[in-house]
Amino acid sequence: MIFTAPLGLLALLAIPAIVAIHLFRRKFPPRPVAGLFLWQAVQRTPEGGAKVSKLPITASLILECLAAFALAMLLAGARLNPAAVSEHLVVLLDDSASMAAVNARNESPRDRAVQRILQEIERLGRGVRITLIKSGERPAVLVGPAAVAIEAEPALKTWKPQEQHHSLAAGLRLARELAGKTGRLFVFSDALPESDVNELQWVSVGESLTNIGIVGAQRTLSANEGKATISLTVSNSSPENVRRQLRLTSDGKEILSQELNVPPKTSSLNLPLPPGLPAVTVALSTDALARDNEVTLVEPRPQIVSISNRLPEGRGKEALDRALGALSAVTHSERPQLVFGPGTELEQAAETGVWRVGFGFTASRMLSGEPADLIGPFVPEKRHPLLAGVTLGGVVWAGAMPLKADAVHPVVSSGNLPLIGLIGPQIDDGILFNLDLQKTNLVRAPDWPILISNIVELRRQNLAGPERWNYRAGEWIRIRLGREPKGKLHFRCGNVERDLPSARLMEFTSPEPCGLLDVMEDNDVLFRLGVNFLDEVESNLSDRTGGERGKPNTLAAGLRAESGAESDPLFWILLIAASAALVGNWCLPAQTRGRA
Amino acid sequence: MRPLRIDWPEIHRAASAVRLAMPRTPIGGRLGERLGSGTGSSLEFQDYRQYSMGDDLRHVDWSAYARSEVLTVRLYREEVAPRIDLVLDVSRSMSVTEQKARAYDELCALLACACASAEADSRVITAAATGSSPLEIPEHVERFLRYESKFCVLEEPQVPLRRRSVRVVLSDFLFPHDPDVLLGRLARDGASLAVIQFTLRDEAEPSVLGGCRMLDVEGNGEMDVVIDEAAVRDYRERFGRLRLGLVRACRRAGASFTHVVAGAPLREIIRTLTAAAVLESS
Repeated sequence: MIFTAPLGLLALLAIPAIVAIHLFRRKFPPRPVAGLFLWQAVQRTPEGGAKVSKLPITASLILECLAAFALAMLLAGARLNPAAVSEHLVVLLDDSASMAAVNARNESPRDRAVQRILQEIERLGRGVRITLIKSGERPAVLVGPAAVAIEAEPALKTWKPQEQHHSLAAGLRLARELAGKTGRLFVFSDALPESDVNELQWVSVGESLTNIGIVGAQRTLSANEGKATISLTVSNSSPENVRRQLRLTSDGKEILSQELNVPPKTSSLNLPLPPGLPAVTVALSTDALARDNEVTLVEPRPQIVSISNRLPEGRGKEALDRALGALSAVTHSERPQLVFGPGTELEQAAETGVWRVGFGFTASRMLSGEPADLIGPFVPEKRHPLLAGVTLGGVVWAGAMPLKADAVHPVVSSGNLPLIGLIGPQIDDGILFNLDLQKTNLVRAPDWPILISNIVELRRQNLAGPERWNYRAGEWIRIRLGREPKGKLHFRCGNVERDLPSARLMEFTSPEPCGLLDVMEDNDVLFRLGVNFLDEVESNLSDRTGGERGKPNTLAAGLRAESGAESDPLFWILLIAASAALVGNWCLPAQTRGRA
Repeated sequence: MRPLRIDWPEIHRAASAVRLAMPRTPIGGRLGERLGSGTGSSLEFQDYRQYSMGDDLRHVDWSAYARSEVLTVRLYREEVAPRIDLVLDVSRSMSVTEQKARAYDELCALLACACASAEADSRVITAAATGSSPLEIPEHVERFLRYESKFCVLEEPQVPLRRRSVRVVLSDFLFPHDPDVLLGRLARDGASLAVIQFTLRDEAEPSVLGGCRMLDVEGNGEMDVVIDEAAVRDYRERFGRLRLGLVRACRRAGASFTHVVAGAPLREIIRTLTAAAVLESS
């Protein structure tokens, strides 16, 4: 017999207390009377007066002691069978998609892992407690913690690995926490760890397989040429060429079907498409891993930036026109979204939705003084997106005027003099180029078109709509609504549907079930995006292997309390004994109790 | 069942000189040896009246007819055998001690003998449910003295008393009651009522006993009590009030009240009962 809570044995002190009560209880000699009612008014009992006499062994005493003993044993958690202490199995399941890759026998690492786990449960007995954890960027408990064994099998049947490639570290941390000192930890994956593992058993159930997978996909639209293209990156994990069938479908109609000869490692191909097609599905014929055989791509809607060049005639205006002419999806408009003009335009209040770029003198921000020509060194704020790819090497910055303190937020400076600065804290407040376009050689430097392109692209990114139209699963999606939401914002992707915060800017990660993702406002579809698996690491099944490493913690104590007192017959025996003793004592005839 | 140990020869000997006292006022009953309240067939002349159809011709006073030529009949006093209802408390409280039970047995036997001597239609009442039972010979009283009931017949709402009967009630009256209500019920429509309270001396005048557990013999609970001077004083005061209530109620109902203490010699008891006009010399 064991005790799960030995401190409960202190309750046995109740037994000597009961004996003492019986020993010292007040005993008056019985006296039969005819008219008790005449005595009731004069009832007087002494304050003390206990006397010691031989302990009367009465039914009441026996029943009370029995009840106290049984209750004390219950409190102490008495168990007949030490086996009531259950083994606790904590299993971390690698939830990456490669676990679902099937071999020629149509058997996957997932199947082998499930089989092995069920065998382990069978070996440890049905009383074993089990905790199943799914790995991932956010690991999740599939069963448990410390659930009974029968819950494991239904949960394992529903387990379908489909995550992108991820580290098992987060899942392992959670598994270790849940295992504590009581659990034996197992990890089921399709690859062995690079280093040795401690206090856990790593079971790799992988198998090296040949797999062809789409690891990159892009759909582009050239509005000027009226052409659309799908660019695919295909990975072949085998050392030789493999032939596969490629099918393109859109809206249920087949657009293209061709045999593809895929060379080893990674290769690319471009598939021309007529523009204006809805979502197109590209599918390769079946192989080991089904998840990377198909992508769904949505045609991007070009976001055209309307521009106005208000610079005075001269080399500056010409250089700007040349730089803008090299950019796609740009149009000149009388109602522009981006205005290039002299610095004096920044003096006026900006219109809503209009970004302004000013060049040269602006009276309210500049001090009187001589303009300076600078050849460097220039100090750029490297992380600013405006300067992406800009070096300013060999540039003579001519006509830089001294500026008032705090007149701009500098992006490029020379000494204390800001050369490019933001008028306000945000870029849409205005950008000031502190230079003379007529003198500087910046307009002839390679940095000039880059700077202009960066400004245009920044403006484009701030237009309403998604930044991109096709995403990788788990990638961050950012969509500008461009207005206040009129209804409930949510998205639907396969069978996943989630609410989005009601704001002008929606940011969320693309969900795991790949395919079309509809961003909706109430029941209206605002944007339709494509989400695809595209995971080169998971597609490469050539390095998967089987084997085991490490040993589970054999010192794990197992779970005691969680095994449930009701499973032990002693619990019920004690409970019945205590109840019977209490009821029996209660039902003893009053006279018997009185004379005891 | 408790064995009865009534010394009948001794009882007969002690009771030979007494009988139950009958009231002086006329009483009702079957034809017998006692004067009744109406006219009857005794030899004692009562009155004259004119003859009417159906009168017994033997009672026609022919001498008067000769003198007055009017048929006149003689009326004689009625003679009846009186009814006696002997109400006995046979609850457990009457056998709370062996001494009380034995003394009560003897008192009942004495009264049974007195009833027999009265040559009356004597009946014994011990419970409302069983009604009244005839007492043909004094020894039959033993059948009723079992002391197994938890209630006294007086505690029941109806006591099966007969109209115009001579009533003798024996009890310790140690149960909660309203004496006026109780006595009023017992005396209603009766010829006479004699109440005899029978208690142990300890029940009337307890002494200091120290702590004891009082057990009500009729199952009305138990109680730990320390019987000290103050408790005795309180008890006596309450018992005195109970007895005084009975005395006053008897007085109002025209009944006689006697308190008999168990253990007193039989002769002294007879003397007490005779003094209280419950018994009379035969």
